[in-house]
Amino acid sequence: MPAKTISVRIDGELVTAREGQTILEAANANGKKIPTLCYLKGLSAVGACRVCMVELAGTDRLLPACTTPMQEGMSIKTASAKLTQYRKMAVELLLVERNHICAACVSNGHCELQAMARELGITHVRYSYNNPRLPVDMTHPRYVLDQNRCILCTRCVRVCAEVEGAHVWEVASRGIYSRIVSDLKDDWGKALSCTSCGKCVQACPTGAIAEKGFSVMEMVKQSDSISRLARQKAHVG
Amino acid sequence: MQSVAHEVLNAHERLLIDQAIHEQDGRPGALLGILAAVQAANAHKFLSMDSLRYIAEETGIPPSTVYSAVTFFALFNLDPQGDNVICVCRGTACHTRGSRDLLEKLCLDLGLSGQEASDTNEADKMALTTPDQRFTVRTVACFGQCALAPVVEVNHHILSHVNERTLQREVKALEHNGHGRK
Repeated sequence: MPAKTISVRIDGELVTAREGQTILEAANANGKKIPTLCYLKGLSAVGACRVCMVELAGTDRLLPACTTPMQEGMSIKTASAKLTQYRKMAVELLLVERNHICAACVSNGHCELQAMARELGITHVRYSYNNPRLPVDMTHPRYVLDQNRCILCTRCVRVCAEVEGAHVWEVASRGIYSRIVSDLKDDWGKALSCTSCGKCVQACPTGAIAEKGFSVMEMVKQSDSISRLARQKAHVG
Repeated sequence: MQSVAHEVLNAHERLLIDQAIHEQDGRPGALLGILAAVQAANAHKFLSMDSLRYIAEETGIPPSTVYSAVTFFALFNLDPQGDNVICVCRGTACHTRGSRDLLEKLCLDLGLSGQEASDTNEADKMALTTPDQRFTVRTVACFGQCALAPVVEVNHHILSHVNERTLQREVKALEHNGHGRK
C-alpha cells in the first residue's frame, strides 16, 4: 500500500515526503544533508547526540531531525548560523567529556566525530576538558573497548539488540557517570551473550570499539554494511 | 546449559526470586518490581551479582538491561547495606547551610575513609558502609524539605536543622541501641 504523501518545505524548497517519515529521512531522500552522529540508517533513532537539530518555522525550539516525524505543511531549515552554533556546542561538549586525542587513536582519519568537528570548523574547544581516567577492556580475543573514546551514541547497543539480537551492550549509571557495559559489567571477553560478530565494531563512529591488531589511523569502519544488513533483516522478518 | 547462577544461589534465594518473577507475571516493566522485591527480601538490602544473573536468566531480559536498570535507579544497591542508613541531603539549600561539613564529619566519626569519600564526593549516588556493617552513609540530591535545611534522614526519619552535635548524638544513640530504631 503506497503511503500517503505530504508536501513540506526543506530550506524553502517545496518537496514531497511520505507520511511517517522523519525529517532526516525526508531530507536525505531529497538530497539535503543534515549532519548526524548517533543516527545509523537501519537502526532505531534515539536523538542522543543533538547534532541533527533543525529549525522549524513557527517555533523557537530546535527539533532533532532523526526522531521528529514530518507533518503536512512543515517548513524546515537545515542550516543557519544558530544551528551551526548549537551543533558546534554539542560536538565540543562531546570532545571535552572524554579523551579524544586523535593523534593516538586507531580511528584517526576515519572517525565520524573527527569528521564532524572538521566539518563544523571546530579548531579548539571553549570548555575545559574533563580528563577522566577510564578503563580499556582488552579481554575480548578480537576486539577492544576503549571507554575514553566513547561518545555514548548507543549505536553498539542498538546494533547488538536490533540486528544481531544478542543485546550484549547497554548504558549503565547515569549522567556523567554513564558507561557502556557488556552483560553485568562483565569483562567483554567473559560476556556469555556476545557472539563476537563484530557489528558493534563497525557501527561505532569513533575508536571506542575497534578491532585488535590495528595501529593509529588503520581502523576503517564499515557502517554501510550495518545499514545493508538491517535492511535485509527487515525484508526477511 | 545450566548456568553459574544456579549453582551459586541457594534454594531459598532462588525461590524468592522465582516468586517475585511469578508475581509480576510478565507485565511490561516487570523488571523494576522484581528487583525491588528481591532487594527488599535481602537481609542486607542489596542485589548480588548472582541474583541479577539469575533474574536475567529466568526472565529472559538481557543481563545488560538488568544491570543498566540497577545502576540507573538510586533505589537499588549492589553492595550490602548497613543496619542503619544515614542519608545526607546534598541539595543546594542544604549545601549552603553546611551539609558538606556534616557529611565529612559523619564519615570521620564512623571511620569511613576520607579518600574513599572524596573519590565519590561528586557522584550523585554515594553509599559508603562501615566494615562492621552497622552504618551506611548515603547522599541524596534533594529531599524537597529545603525549608528545614540542612536535612539528614536517619533510618527513614527526617531530621531538620541538623548540626554536627545533633547528628553526633543521633549516631551515638544508634550505636547504643544495637540495631537502632527499626
